[in-house]
Amino acid sequence: MMMPFQSERSVVRPLLLAIALLVAAVSAREATAAQRVYIDITQPHFVQLPIAVTDLREEGPAGEGLGRLLASVVSNDLDLSGLFRVLDPRGFLGSGQDEGLTAAEIRFDRWRQVGAEFLVRGKCSREGSRLRVEYRLYDVVAQRLVVGKIYEGRVEDARVMAHRFANEILAALTGEPGIFDTQIAFVQAKDGVKEIFLMDIDGENLKQVTRDGSTALSPAWSPDARHLAYVSYFEGAPKLYVVDLFTGQRRNLCGYPGLNISPAWRPGGDGLAVTLSKDGNPDIYLVDLNGQVVRKLASSWAIDVSPSWSPDGKRLAYVSGETGNPQIYVLDLATGRKERLTYHGKYNTAPSWSPKGDWIAYSGMDKGLNNIYIIRPDGSEIRQLTHNEGDNEAPSWSPDGRMIAFTSTRQGGRAAVWVMLLNGEGVKRLTRLPGEQSLPDWSPRLPR
Amino acid sequence: MQDMLKRLLAVAALGLLVLSFSACTKKAVPVQGGMTPAPPMQTAVQGSGATGRIDEATWQRLGLQTEPERLEFLQAMEKFENEDVYFEFDSYVLLEEARMVLDRKVEFLRRYPKVQVTIEGHCDERGTSEYNLALGERRANSAWQYLVDSGIDPSRLSMISYGEERPVAAGHDEASWAKNRRAHFVIHF
Repeated sequence: MMMPFQSERSVVRPLLLAIALLVAAVSAREATAAQRVYIDITQPHFVQLPIAVTDLREEGPAGEGLGRLLASVVSNDLDLSGLFRVLDPRGFLGSGQDEGLTAAEIRFDRWRQVGAEFLVRGKCSREGSRLRVEYRLYDVVAQRLVVGKIYEGRVEDARVMAHRFANEILAALTGEPGIFDTQIAFVQAKDGVKEIFLMDIDGENLKQVTRDGSTALSPAWSPDARHLAYVSYFEGAPKLYVVDLFTGQRRNLCGYPGLNISPAWRPGGDGLAVTLSKDGNPDIYLVDLNGQVVRKLASSWAIDVSPSWSPDGKRLAYVSGETGNPQIYVLDLATGRKERLTYHGKYNTAPSWSPKGDWIAYSGMDKGLNNIYIIRPDGSEIRQLTHNEGDNEAPSWSPDGRMIAFTSTRQGGRAAVWVMLLNGEGVKRLTRLPGEQSLPDWSPRLPR
Repeated sequence: MQDMLKRLLAVAALGLLVLSFSACTKKAVPVQGGMTPAPPMQTAVQGSGATGRIDEATWQRLGLQTEPERLEFLQAMEKFENEDVYFEFDSYVLLEEARMVLDRKVEFLRRYPKVQVTIEGHCDERGTSEYNLALGERRANSAWQYLVDSGIDPSRLSMISYGEERPVAAGHDEASWAKNRRAHFVIHF
């Protein structure tokens, strides 16, 4: 598997392929439920919606448990979102397979009896390598179809179809599409080597990005979700690289003397904020897509590192050691004014600005262990999200700003990638691999 | 020494004629592909005896003619590479003891003016990856500054930070952390 001595500019195989799915709405002859928001996710204390997801009916030779897979991926996504209470199929009255798929055929009374307010049903069939999947979401109380979609594509894209329908469910019930078809890049450490991998947000569908047998760090998605910037030691010193995930082609971005680290794409994707020490001290620079320095963004007599852009690109959160220990600052790029954001604790690092703009997540250290905090960009409100459970570092937001991926050693003392909701609840482990996993970076929404 | 020679001979017997010299010292970190900076010059393995590890041309370039001189150099070099400079948590300030160690580095570098050095900056596992890369850089820089202030030609010195990526002690306690907060020195010639 490992190819430690692969040469520098070699073309790796494409890591992401354009996924062509044909999508159609389920026949409009059925009345759909009136447009309304079922879950107001802007409220801090919403009630989780009870939802039942039945295995999809396999029509013809679908085989290989596809009906169950297509249901379980949706169930898991909904569970991960924290917005639903996904009912255990063992409590269902009957398998659900004895009913039809239309509102007229569904025994809504039975679903109400088991406590479901919503119901996901569907069917799938395959012809050779092609898969056709029909999903439907019903409002059990109103006894109406909320949303239905038909997907056609390759059999190997079954998971993508499921994630996309989970997105539709979120869109229908919250007014904002889900992020279930996004991906998370992370660093996998094993046998003294660190490589970058991608995974789906449920921890499945692993793809290895680097195969250098060296130390690769700090993966950072471009805003178009096509490129990944990262740090690697494979040429000796820590340099910055960009890999095109569609072609597998990699190029050197910055190889200045000293450090070339902590990449953060500027919103819009026309440049990156990076940390360079070419002038003797680690400072933050804006570089263009060829790695040429456009200008210095943040500097002091001390360490300046780990930039994170506000979604509008007008401000930059970063770490500075100018008070003698690392604290988080916010720089207004138009005025050049910088303000210290964190005053609690003596070691606050790894800022990550929410894609909604309303919070900055970071790691704060106390007694040698880090915890994840969120703070308002004006410093007005601060919340600790992890407590007394190992070391918790490197927060990265989901593109809808509702979840945070992070590194934690809470289970077995080994670092793995975990996710939690914005309120610190719904903590779930994503990676279950040998070795240790760290430095997650959540992709933006993928272009369709 | 004996074991080291055996290993060297075994490697040579395998047909590998060229070997990175810096990878042979006791405390050297395991070499993974691409992880170590390539030394500026490599030394052919030939001859016999401890001093035979370095070819005659290299000895001449180092200005070391006699067997005792050469043995002394090898011993001094081993000590040089195995003596690290240690730092306090989240600090790149040189402690009193660090200065004493660095004074010995200066002595060695004056005695052997043809030798070049890579200063590696390292951190313990606490703290976060990117900040530690920067901190490791500052630690290497502190040592570099001291050597330069003591009259060592900066063109003989290079720096690299490994942050928390290459610990020498694997434990999760203060004893291990203290060993990992270091500047490490690797010789090239």
